[in-house]
Amino acid sequence: MSCSKSNLVSPYLDKEMGADETIAFEAHARGCSRCAQKLEELRALHSAFSAVQSHQAPYGFSTRVLARAAELEKKKAPWYFAPLFVRFAEAAVLLVVVTLGILAGNAMTNGVPGRMAVNMTASLSLDLFEAAPPGSLGGAYLALMEAGNEK
Amino acid sequence: MMTVRNDDDISHINRFKEGDPSAFEAIVLKYQDKIYSLCRHMLGNAHDAEDAAQEVFLKAYQALPRFQPDASLYTWLYRIAANTCLDHLRKPVFESLFGPSGEGEGLVHDRASEAPSPERLYQSKQTDRALQEGLGKLSPKLRAIIILKEIEGLSYEEIADSLAISMGTVKSRIARAREELQKVMKKFREQNPQ
Ligand SMILES: [Zn+2]
Repeated sequence: MSCSKSNLVSPYLDKEMGADETIAFEAHARGCSRCAQKLEELRALHSAFSAVQSHQAPYGFSTRVLARAAELEKKKAPWYFAPLFVRFAEAAVLLVVVTLGILAGNAMTNGVPGRMAVNMTASLSLDLFEAAPPGSLGGAYLALMEAGNEK
Repeated sequence: MMTVRNDDDISHINRFKEGDPSAFEAIVLKYQDKIYSLCRHMLGNAHDAEDAAQEVFLKAYQALPRFQPDASLYTWLYRIAANTCLDHLRKPVFESLFGPSGEGEGLVHDRASEAPSPERLYQSKQTDRALQEGLGKLSPKLRAIIILKEIEGLSYEEIADSLAISMGTVKSRIARAREELQKVMKKFREQNPQ
């Protein structure tokens, strides 16, 4: 069984009571062994916390935060401003187009293995993308790959 | 709502809103240890703490233009930090709770200023372990409130502001957190006698 005033022990310990309440509780605790005991226990717990180690931010933390904040600023520039899902959508469309191209090439050159190999190489060649102007699907793809590599 | 007017903070915020990039750096440098420490105690390991603490400052960076000048910057940062940590803890893959300290973590220092005797040091390490164990077993909400009270030393009003809860909830949660901590620590000491 606990005392109905035991819920006052914590606020008393934390000095979160008014003066009158404090005096009244102290008078109560002198005559109530349960509250007196609980007060002792919570005092011990409170002093145990003084042994808890507090941690400092790791070396270079602020530099890393500031670099990421600068990245956020850069993303406000026109090209980068596109949300990530839009860039993913462009990449997905690109992938479908390339795949269809390869399949179509495959179908057209069916039975001519040598030619197919050339087509395949051409379809997968990165030269196509390098020639792409900035802002095009190719540019988006390259930027996406770059972003992926940074991770 | 509690408002601790801090002239430094007000000046940083005004400079930030005027576009001075050094203002944000000043805010990060001023509060990085407090925010990191809160995240470290909430999440229990250095890696997740760094992730979360970075996230806190980036959220703050984006929200600062809308920051109300009559609010307190540090309880506002604590609120972002508490919510960010609660979000981290909600992730189902979150398994790294209360692991070992990570490499490259900053100096870890005992809060007691005097040099303790070896015996005292051992006792405090045992106590620290018991407390870490206890904190890890508390629900994230109770953990957040007891860290803000006992480690960060916030008043009930500041805690209410930081966690966006009523004073009544602060009182009842602190009492419950202490009760549960006591239980877990008692069990830990029984299982790990000195
Ligand atoms: Zn009593």
